[in-house]
Amino acid sequence: MATSLVRQTKLLSIVTSQLSSAACFRNIHCTAACLKNRAARIRVAKGDKPVTYEQAYHPHHIGHRKGWLSQHTSNLQGEDGAAERVVEDVFIRRFMYGTFHGCLADEIVIKRRGNLLVICAVMIQKLLPSKFYFLIGYTEELLSHFYKCPVKIEMQTVEEKVVYKYL
Amino acid sequence: MFTVIRSKEAVLQALASTVNRDPTASDYRFQDDPYLTPKTSSEFKLFSLSQESGRNAAKYFISTYPKYFQKDYAQPHIPCLMPETLEAQIEEVSEAALIERIQMRKVKAAVDLYDQLQQAGTPVSLDVTNQLLDLICFYGDCDPAQENVPEQRNEETEDVQDEPQTKKGRASKASDKLKAAWKENNNAERIFALLSEPNTHSYSALIRGMVKYGAYSKAFSTYTDLLNNQLKADVSTFNALITAAPEVKEKYNEKWELIVDLLKQMAEQKVKPNLLTLNAVLKALRRCGTVGKSQAFPVISEMRALSIDPSLASYNHLLSIFYKPGAPFQGQTDILQEVMNEVSGKSFTPQDPDDAQFFITAVRICLDTKDIEQAYRVHELLGVGENWRLLGNDFQQNIYHARFFSLLCMMENIDVVLKWYRDLVPSVYYPSSNVMRDLLQALDTDNRLDLIPQIWKDLKQLGHGNRQTLVEELLTLMAREKQNQEVQETFAECALDIKKMYDTGDRGKVMMSWTAGSLSDLVSVLLAAQRRQDAWEILKLFKTHNRVPSEELLDKFLTCIKESGDVNQALELVQISAGFCLPGTPKLIQRVQQEFLLSEQQKSMLSDLEIQTFNSD
Repeated sequence: MATSLVRQTKLLSIVTSQLSSAACFRNIHCTAACLKNRAARIRVAKGDKPVTYEQAYHPHHIGHRKGWLSQHTSNLQGEDGAAERVVEDVFIRRFMYGTFHGCLADEIVIKRRGNLLVICAVMIQKLLPSKFYFLIGYTEELLSHFYKCPVKIEMQTVEEKVVYKYL
Repeated sequence: MFTVIRSKEAVLQALASTVNRDPTASDYRFQDDPYLTPKTSSEFKLFSLSQESGRNAAKYFISTYPKYFQKDYAQPHIPCLMPETLEAQIEEVSEAALIERIQMRKVKAAVDLYDQLQQAGTPVSLDVTNQLLDLICFYGDCDPAQENVPEQRNEETEDVQDEPQTKKGRASKASDKLKAAWKENNNAERIFALLSEPNTHSYSALIRGMVKYGAYSKAFSTYTDLLNNQLKADVSTFNALITAAPEVKEKYNEKWELIVDLLKQMAEQKVKPNLLTLNAVLKALRRCGTVGKSQAFPVISEMRALSIDPSLASYNHLLSIFYKPGAPFQGQTDILQEVMNEVSGKSFTPQDPDDAQFFITAVRICLDTKDIEQAYRVHELLGVGENWRLLGNDFQQNIYHARFFSLLCMMENIDVVLKWYRDLVPSVYYPSSNVMRDLLQALDTDNRLDLIPQIWKDLKQLGHGNRQTLVEELLTLMAREKQNQEVQETFAECALDIKKMYDTGDRGKVMMSWTAGSLSDLVSVLLAAQRRQDAWEILKLFKTHNRVPSEELLDKFLTCIKESGDVNQALELVQISAGFCLPGTPKLIQRVQQEFLLSEQQKSMLSDLEIQTFNSD
């Protein structure tokens, strides 16, 4: 019994050494597939789905037909903190989506100027202005205390979601 | 190398100085969006309060769940963005715990802890006891209002003690039996009595507390105790006593003598007066009538000799001494001018709570004396340096601008008024309906009634579109004279718009009711613009709203109908007039018979009517 096991492990080591030789490079995939050709793209469908400008253009249009949704300097040479900024951005987007529920007309743009965090949002005129101001005061105060930096909200309102085309 | 050391904000300050106020933008607190900009003063208040309450809601969450906000990203550390600890940390009965509670402004907890310490026999040092006394006397033995808890109004209606309730501390929860008046034998007095060797500071705290909460005679008796114990008082004690002096004496001379006495004692005890002393003396002199007028200037010069420069509060008290509201002014107009000469061009910092009253008082005096030159100087002073901070809160700003603008409407010609109007409204100031009426009068004086439709648009936006007196005045002004054709057209549009305001009231809006005068004015405006059909509709409204048209109106209408030659309408007009049993009906009938070409049937109808009216007379 022991000898057969030894023989099998020897077989396995021969196989793996052959695998890692220059001839073949297929390795084991342990994470989920991140399909770069399916991210942030709304596929063309029947023609009744309204889509905003931001959603209509695909990620390879960023810098050409679209701007950046998150503006900070950590992606420059020699700057660090990019990963932290990404995590903060994700949190802020979810926070805004939940706090101003149903009011967001489009994606939020986050700008960082020095210490200041500016959240630019376009809202639908769904709530009364006084309710908007309540939520603005609440968000600014809470996020400032959370991230230990001044947070400002710049808001613009539209009557309804601006549709660019129908896909 | 000569390098100039500049502060870190120098560039920002230089940039900021190049930008003036933008008259098309709303206040900095609000978002720059038409939907979110306040258009009336009530909206202004509502939006800023809702933003504030959102902040309070966030603060509540931060203080209730501080563990989520502890991670410190900021370098250097920003203490105001960390969660506040609202509960006292040190639990054991010790002096350090007492100090902590004093710093957290927890009055009751501090007093309880002090009592516990006394019972346990631990000696509390005099300094700490003095701090405790300061705390109690400042807050009047009540806990200060917590910021997160919404303030409840004090429902207690206990009868006020002998002293009138003057200054209010922020008397907070209705559950306490303590009011904003100095109670007999409250904690401050009790703790003071327990002290074996009270020093100047203790007496000072007690006296200032008594004066703040209205126990004036007690304050003076405590002062005599202090003197009997051979102690010296400090400058703040004297300031408090001077403030209390007008309350304990009746006659003007006696008040002044008491103040002089206090000042002499101050000199004896070698206590140097400060700015607050000067302001206290001047404020007391306001209550001293004619004595105040004679003594004010000598006081100021003496204080100047001691190198105490007057602040805006001193000038405010000075102006109030000489310009009592409602009193006639004779020969005092130069005092305001002298004061303005003194303060022009200077930038003041807040040194006294009454500094914020200066601008309001000054502009009130300008309004009463109709002095536009000084008003401009006062307004200019606002623009100097940091003086804008001394204009006060929103309510005071509103008063200031209302008075300033009313003065402008009274004194200046219409172009200047309109220039200021466009500058101030609505970015800084939301005028009330009275001020808008002043503006209308100014338009009338300068014969610029053609601007009325624009003003009406502004009125609607400001939320004054449903104020009956204002709207009626508008209609009267439009109907008074005949203007040229295009202006008349705009008037007609405006008048029809006004009519819409009467018809459908939104929920909650004040409904206006038609009067005979307003209906007649409306009809006249429409007739003058040759809008007979619209005018005819309005004429029918007389019946529905139970108002009687005047004879001149119907006469005018008939003239208008004659121009178009519509006989039927003329007959209907006569019938309407008969329906109201107007005394001018026969004359109307005659006019119709003479001026119009009538058929037989119409003639007979008219003659029937004539007989009818003749019989009813």
